[in-house]
Amino acid sequence: MKVAVIQFPGSNCDQDAAWALKWVGLEAELIWHTATHLEGFAAVVLPGGFSYGDYLRAGALAKFSPVMAEVRRLAERGNPVIGICNGFQVLTEAGLLPGALLANTNLHFTCKEVGLRVERNDTPFTQAYRPGELLRLPIAHGEGRYYADPEVLEGLEERRQVVFRYAALTPAASADYNPNGSLNDIAGIVNARGNVLGLMPHPERAVEAALGTTDGLGVFESLKAALEVVA
Amino acid sequence: MKYQATILIELKPGILDPQGRAVEGVLQGLGYRAQNVRVGRVLEMELESPSEAEAHRQATEMAKTLANPVMEVYTVEALKERA
Repeated sequence: MKVAVIQFPGSNCDQDAAWALKWVGLEAELIWHTATHLEGFAAVVLPGGFSYGDYLRAGALAKFSPVMAEVRRLAERGNPVIGICNGFQVLTEAGLLPGALLANTNLHFTCKEVGLRVERNDTPFTQAYRPGELLRLPIAHGEGRYYADPEVLEGLEERRQVVFRYAALTPAASADYNPNGSLNDIAGIVNARGNVLGLMPHPERAVEAALGTTDGLGVFESLKAALEVVA
Repeated sequence: MKYQATILIELKPGILDPQGRAVEGVLQGLGYRAQNVRVGRVLEMELESPSEAEAHRQATEMAKTLANPVMEVYTVEALKERA
């Protein structure tokens, strides 16, 4: 079961993503962004980083990379696609996920652990979690404020497309758990079909106890289980 | 003919612009009465085109390609013939 991890110029979480995939027993291959076919890959990860230096806007130039036509083809065919952090930004810029990610309200590049609530576990990315489960995952971004116009936002909620929401892990944190000003506390969404996930937190940085939290492991275990069902 | 085009890309009105707010705060601190400051992006480019109308069409098309319609609007601010 091979998963492609796309490397754009400026990606920097590609090795971590490949490591996390291998950690759960999946095969992972790093694919340069000029690739024009992704034959033989069951899923795709667009990793975090700063593709094209975040020039113009985060993710805005990466969407024109040749490999994106193939990523779109796989997404439309129903294969799982995960965009983490900058990968989420690329997916929204490419129109594979609705909305956009704007500069954090406080203008800080924020690098810390945050609380998340799993809103649904009937996706290929979250079946290893319980609905309502609270997770602790790291974030590291300057443009993570999820924005969509009111109609799009309403549609997302109606179709239950919000998968992860920022949440308070302790009652004391209840005032400032949303790290970037995201509307509806949105940290991760899927497309209407449920096979394309974008999230700002970094599950690949939370798969081994040595990293402080293993709460991200479920994303990769879920993906593995989903791919095994298909195969 | 060679043309010089200026494209302006800015956040849609109504979308919170924290950069604009930070600049506004500083300007007000300096005593200016600036309000609703917004920060946008300007793209300057040279274009080879047979006519001004065609140059404008091209510039508009590029602006549309580069702007994100979810949160931005674009305008071709200026187009002038280059010597």
